[in-house]
Amino acid sequence: MNYPVWFLPETGGGFLIALISILHVFVSHFAVGGGLYLIYAEKKGLKENSQAILDFTKRHARFFLLVTMVFGSISGVGIWFIIALVNPAATSFLIHNFVFGWAAEWVFFTVEIAAAFVYFYMFGRMDSKTHLQVGWLYFIAAWMSLFLINGIIGVMLTPGSWAENLDFWAGFFNPSFFPSLVFRTFIALMIAACYGYLSASFTADRDVRIAMTRFSAKWALVTLFIAIVSGFWYLSVLPGQSHSLVMGKSPTIAAVLPWGAGGLLSLLVVMLGAGIIRPSLNLKPVAGIAMVSALLVMGGFEWTREAARRPYVINEVMYSNSIFKKDVADLNQNGYLRTALWVQNKEVSEENLIDAGEELFLNQCYSCHTLGGRNNDIVMATSNMSYRALVSYIGKIHELRYFMPPFAGTEQEKSALAAYIAGGLHGKDVQKPQQVDSGTGKGVALFEEKCSSCHAPEDLAGAFDGVESDEIVGMLKTLDEISDEMEAFGGSEEEHKQLAAYLSGQEEKEEPEKVIDGKAVFNTHCTMCHNESGIRWKVSNRERQEIFTMLGKLDQLQRAMPPFRGTAEEREALADFLNALNQGGQ
Amino acid sequence: MDPLIIPQPDTIPVSWGWFQFLLLVTFPLHLLAMNAMLGGLAICIIQHLKGGTVQKQLAHRIAIALPLVIAFVVNFGVAPLLFVQVLYGQFLYTSSVLMGAFWILIVPVLIVAYYGAYLYDFRFARLGSAGPIVAAVVFFLLVVIGFFFSNNMLLMATPEQFGEYFSHQSGTLLSFGQPSFWPRFLHMLFGALAVGGLFVALLGRFRKSIKPDLAKHAEQVGLSTFLFLTSVNVMIGIWYLLSLPKELMMLFMGNNVGATITFCAALLLVVGALVGAVKRKFWLTFYHALGLVVVMTFLRSYLRSAYLKDVFTLNELEVVPQYSPMIFFFVTLVGGIVCIVWLIKKTKNVFTMELERER
Repeated sequence: MNYPVWFLPETGGGFLIALISILHVFVSHFAVGGGLYLIYAEKKGLKENSQAILDFTKRHARFFLLVTMVFGSISGVGIWFIIALVNPAATSFLIHNFVFGWAAEWVFFTVEIAAAFVYFYMFGRMDSKTHLQVGWLYFIAAWMSLFLINGIIGVMLTPGSWAENLDFWAGFFNPSFFPSLVFRTFIALMIAACYGYLSASFTADRDVRIAMTRFSAKWALVTLFIAIVSGFWYLSVLPGQSHSLVMGKSPTIAAVLPWGAGGLLSLLVVMLGAGIIRPSLNLKPVAGIAMVSALLVMGGFEWTREAARRPYVINEVMYSNSIFKKDVADLNQNGYLRTALWVQNKEVSEENLIDAGEELFLNQCYSCHTLGGRNNDIVMATSNMSYRALVSYIGKIHELRYFMPPFAGTEQEKSALAAYIAGGLHGKDVQKPQQVDSGTGKGVALFEEKCSSCHAPEDLAGAFDGVESDEIVGMLKTLDEISDEMEAFGGSEEEHKQLAAYLSGQEEKEEPEKVIDGKAVFNTHCTMCHNESGIRWKVSNRERQEIFTMLGKLDQLQRAMPPFRGTAEEREALADFLNALNQGGQ
Repeated sequence: MDPLIIPQPDTIPVSWGWFQFLLLVTFPLHLLAMNAMLGGLAICIIQHLKGGTVQKQLAHRIAIALPLVIAFVVNFGVAPLLFVQVLYGQFLYTSSVLMGAFWILIVPVLIVAYYGAYLYDFRFARLGSAGPIVAAVVFFLLVVIGFFFSNNMLLMATPEQFGEYFSHQSGTLLSFGQPSFWPRFLHMLFGALAVGGLFVALLGRFRKSIKPDLAKHAEQVGLSTFLFLTSVNVMIGIWYLLSLPKELMMLFMGNNVGATITFCAALLLVVGALVGAVKRKFWLTFYHALGLVVVMTFLRSYLRSAYLKDVFTLNELEVVPQYSPMIFFFVTLVGGIVCIVWLIKKTKNVFTMELERER
């Protein structure tokens, strides 16, 4: 809200950050671990008095220089550029708080560059002792860069007391500082070993290829083991919510973890089989597999770390959409648009409802949702939601889905955002909830306002047959006890009665006898995460009864899924619908 | 007129003077390296195209140095970019978003240019006549990056353009339409090419004891380039001065004592450098040019403050004091300098031994 939003509707800034940063970290960790690898490879050559191994080391140093100096350093600048474009507020906040941490990192970066050049260009020209000292200087400078960046990155995930006092040192040595440092150090050494393994595969001299393959594989396996152990240590220090997200509550993480685990397994197999047992199998394609596997491990980790701090960009301080946590209450009271700088609609009115909503989308949702793109497409995610359902859903979005930031703004602004999504994006009817004060119609209006984001009227048909209004009133007061996905109905006593009357059928319903439509149930309960083609694949080859059983334990099947919240009848109807999908019909 | 849209700045941990000091110390380092890169490469291409033994030798020397120079251009650019973000972040982040599509392009363009420089260096002989083409592409890409930087630096200083965000949400706004853009950009470019000439002369001097012809040729080419381009750049400088809004121009003509004195110092340094170049006195030219680059960064700073003075002064930055991280940085800096001196010393020993052997 303090800075303009760089709007690339179908791409989204998050995708660009992920692309640049994953590739960068894969190289920057090589830049750290590779220094130590070179030292020990050179020492091995010297110890064995092998000119061939020293030649290999020099070739590898050249490869190292080309990869780390060019791609590594420029993509590092690239991360700085892209985060400042996608989230200038968070970048500015961190830069201003940790400027001297970054400045110190720049000093080590300078030493790193100078030492890397001297190491490569003086290879074979300088006496070995001094040359190795240069190598050590390079490695120490590179590791110190990691040390410093680790502190600053760590604060975004585990700010600890820094979130309250903004003390530099409290933030730098945040709760995950040491586990993360150990983890990253060994990951860096593991990646360096993979690059060494790759270099070995390009070596024509068979003896050297085998010797350096085995050397690299030993490095990879030992460091990978320590990295895994420190990874658990890292996981153990994450705060409760972040820990839950990593353990399965975040669909984003759940989608990526299998890839990371696959990479890990594949790396183990390659290094063990084609590294230790049969190093002669280290051919270029095999080394390519090892590199891709290592990239998956690194990418999986970085992706997880990024997603684990959701809904924040700086945990407990600033939400992903650049809104400070401390400002939300004020924004709810005084309005977001009035406070935001880069909007043209400062107030919401009947005339500008959709335009104002679009600006709200841009400022509050676009940081994670694209418009028609592959990454978290808002159009897909909301295709089955009505305007009224959206109004209600937006209001409790953070409570229902912790990893999404709360909407910050007035009721009117909430309606504007819903109007933009329902009307502007989907062309659906955008009507304000009926303003009925009493009598017939009030219950319907209340239902639309409070319940329709998750329930269609027909879903509940029959659920309250024979239940007295007073009893329904009692149930409305304890909805949060029925399911942790619901909250207690917060209306007045009168509204409790009106809604209960509607639910019990005493207030006239349009079609009281309507049969529950399984597709409608699907639309209400499932379409936030699934579409029909995707779900068809998930239920393929399953009997109807099996599907029905699965619906009763969704949260056990996958932790990221909430339990099914519908009635028994809805569950039956949904099972019928899914079964029909499975049979090829609808 | 619509009110200007300017974000709120974040707080800073120490007085702004420290950051200004660090900015003014580190930015000339970046400029000097950038000048060596651009000017050196331009001369390299011409020498390579001209042919002849000594010309080709000179082109090769420059090609070898180029990747190293690029590394330090980038590295020395990081520090001033960091400090300018601390001082003027609310302007720079905004202008960067406004031209985001071009700003982010700098990254892939630089990667391609940098690899091109290595290709030119490592395959100098094998590339044959394709060598100058590769070098020319690298040069073009580097100038494009300079063009984007110039756009951003002017855009951040002119927040009256920020309102155009609403018609450029995808980050496509540039500032080359402003009257002072082209003289500003060309002044910088010609300055870089001129000072690059001195870098080439310096590079030749390193080989003086074993390749006196090369050293002589490099110095002759370097000083001539500097003399000619600096003379042209004086004209561009006048154009630039006249293109500024009158209020800003008058800053250097007596309205601001500090700016006027600095401007006069710059003029004296230009004269000194040109006299040195005419008399073929390398070190006289070199030190004057060095001083000129430093003084030019002061002038830029005066100009930026003047552009923004109606909407922001550095005194407005709120300080929430935390001095210990700065002390940590200075200790690190001293340690870093010691390490680099050690590296230079050890490398120099190798060169000395090799030169003695070659003699």
